[in-house]
Amino acid sequence: MRKKKKRSLMLMTLPGIFLICIFVIIPLINGVRISFYTWNGYGKVMKFVGLDNFKALFTDMRLPRITVNTLIYGFGSCLLENVLGLAAALFVAEKFRGRNGIRAILYMPIMISGFIMGKIMSYVFTLDNGVLNDLLAVFGTGPVYWMKNSWISSLIITVVNSWQYMGLCMLIYLAGLQNISSSYLDAAAIDGASGWQQFFKIKLPLLIPAITTCVITNLINSLKLYELVVGLTNGGPNRETMSLSQYIQVLYFDDEKAGYAAAAGIFLFLLIMVLSLPINRFLRSREVQL
Amino acid sequence: MNHKEKKSTKIIRFIICALIVLIYFMPIYLLGNVSVREATDFSSKLWPTQNPTLEKYITILTDPMVWKSFANTLLYAALEILFLIPTAAMGGYALSRSAGRLSNMIRTFNILVMMIPGTALLVGTYSLMVNLHLTNSIFGIALYGAGASMTGSMFFYTTFSTSIPTELDEAAELDGAGPVKTFFYVIMPLMKGITVTRVISVVIGCWNSYLMPLYLLTKSEKYTILLYVRKLFTNSVIQDVPLSFAAGAVMVIPIVVFYFVMQKYIVGGQIDSSVKG
Repeated sequence: MRKKKKRSLMLMTLPGIFLICIFVIIPLINGVRISFYTWNGYGKVMKFVGLDNFKALFTDMRLPRITVNTLIYGFGSCLLENVLGLAAALFVAEKFRGRNGIRAILYMPIMISGFIMGKIMSYVFTLDNGVLNDLLAVFGTGPVYWMKNSWISSLIITVVNSWQYMGLCMLIYLAGLQNISSSYLDAAAIDGASGWQQFFKIKLPLLIPAITTCVITNLINSLKLYELVVGLTNGGPNRETMSLSQYIQVLYFDDEKAGYAAAAGIFLFLLIMVLSLPINRFLRSREVQL
Repeated sequence: MNHKEKKSTKIIRFIICALIVLIYFMPIYLLGNVSVREATDFSSKLWPTQNPTLEKYITILTDPMVWKSFANTLLYAALEILFLIPTAAMGGYALSRSAGRLSNMIRTFNILVMMIPGTALLVGTYSLMVNLHLTNSIFGIALYGAGASMTGSMFFYTTFSTSIPTELDEAAELDGAGPVKTFFYVIMPLMKGITVTRVISVVIGCWNSYLMPLYLLTKSEKYTILLYVRKLFTNSVIQDVPLSFAAGAVMVIPIVVFYFVMQKYIVGGQIDSSVKG
């Protein structure tokens, strides 16, 4: 009887595991295989070249800048989203009229496609007729050429990305704050702890599980940043604001170097793994056991 | 805390709220403001349009392709829900009732799958879909979508099922029901609430999904709404900014309205899926 039950439980997981195998595992293996070949992405001719694609990748003149961009998007957004999200969570955790409305508004930009948001924002930051410059003109300051320097463009992408997706962190922190029993805070208040002390000594340590979730999810997602870059700068000027994700797509479909794109894909996967697994382990070890 | 201090915090709070509303509605305001002007109107996008016209909306809404792309998007979402939700709920429940090590493995596996960038899978997926003859097929993209978000959803249902007491299963078992029957008659009804939030998040995901549809749905009669709008934004021959903004508004406004109506489920579901894990 027990054995039969166990078997039917296993059978119930099969449809899901089947779909995962077809659409995640097989493409991944397929991608690794293609990275050892030169291929234009659609033709019949595939030539085995061993590790040549990887050798070419690590001598690619564009790779350092694109990797640095990816790191700026990844760590910059992760930091900003967590700080903004925590601040927003503390703000809407207070009771005031219209609090639910503000909460809903702070989460709203996530509903808007990253591509469309990028397009709108590109009109905000342009030099001529840009929305931000029109606003500055009201205060009598001259137009600023926001996108002149590609490093500044990268920072703008980071800020827009953090602003758009900060609501997710806010909700996670809000749930974390709601889980903190008010008896701890009351006891601390009786002992004379100030608001800041309560935050740093009680709330923050108890929020570490929420911090783990927020940091890891946002780090992974922002290292994969793609649509917003396409919408905002399309990687330009001269591929200088590109993220690795966009570079892979350009290599595959525009430059028709499928093998090379697959190698870049594996590089990005390994980069994400090397960066996020140790951080995940570190944060988990700091979680408070009650 | 004296009365005066309270008043000043109230004022500061009000100012912050007002700023939030201004900044967060700015993109939608810009979409609306630019969409009601003529293509030849190059005045500032910030200030309200002089002589607003609905001409661009009429152009968009009388284009049969926009309705076709709305229908495609809804079909895409419906099929993905059909492929994803029952499988993930059933699998997630079964995992939660198996040995603890297995669900721990799924948790680690889930993070690993999350780390695989969509673009890295692009090369492998695209050639697979070509071989399976699933390009330019809403069915194909929905099946792909279900597979790609399976680990996340399964994990979500596993953590939720863990909070359902096993006494319920045992009672059903005593009445002679096997695990499959128990799942459909006892467990599934208990998961109604979180299933609603899952369904909503699939709809939003399909509405905004970009990368795979872009390469797998290349014929314009298979376009989703985002691909339709994208085509107008990236048209390099004729730059009609108001027309693309109108198309953007036609795409963005329904989902924002849907969000505010369904807000309770979306926000609640997000909290459930992130913290309980």
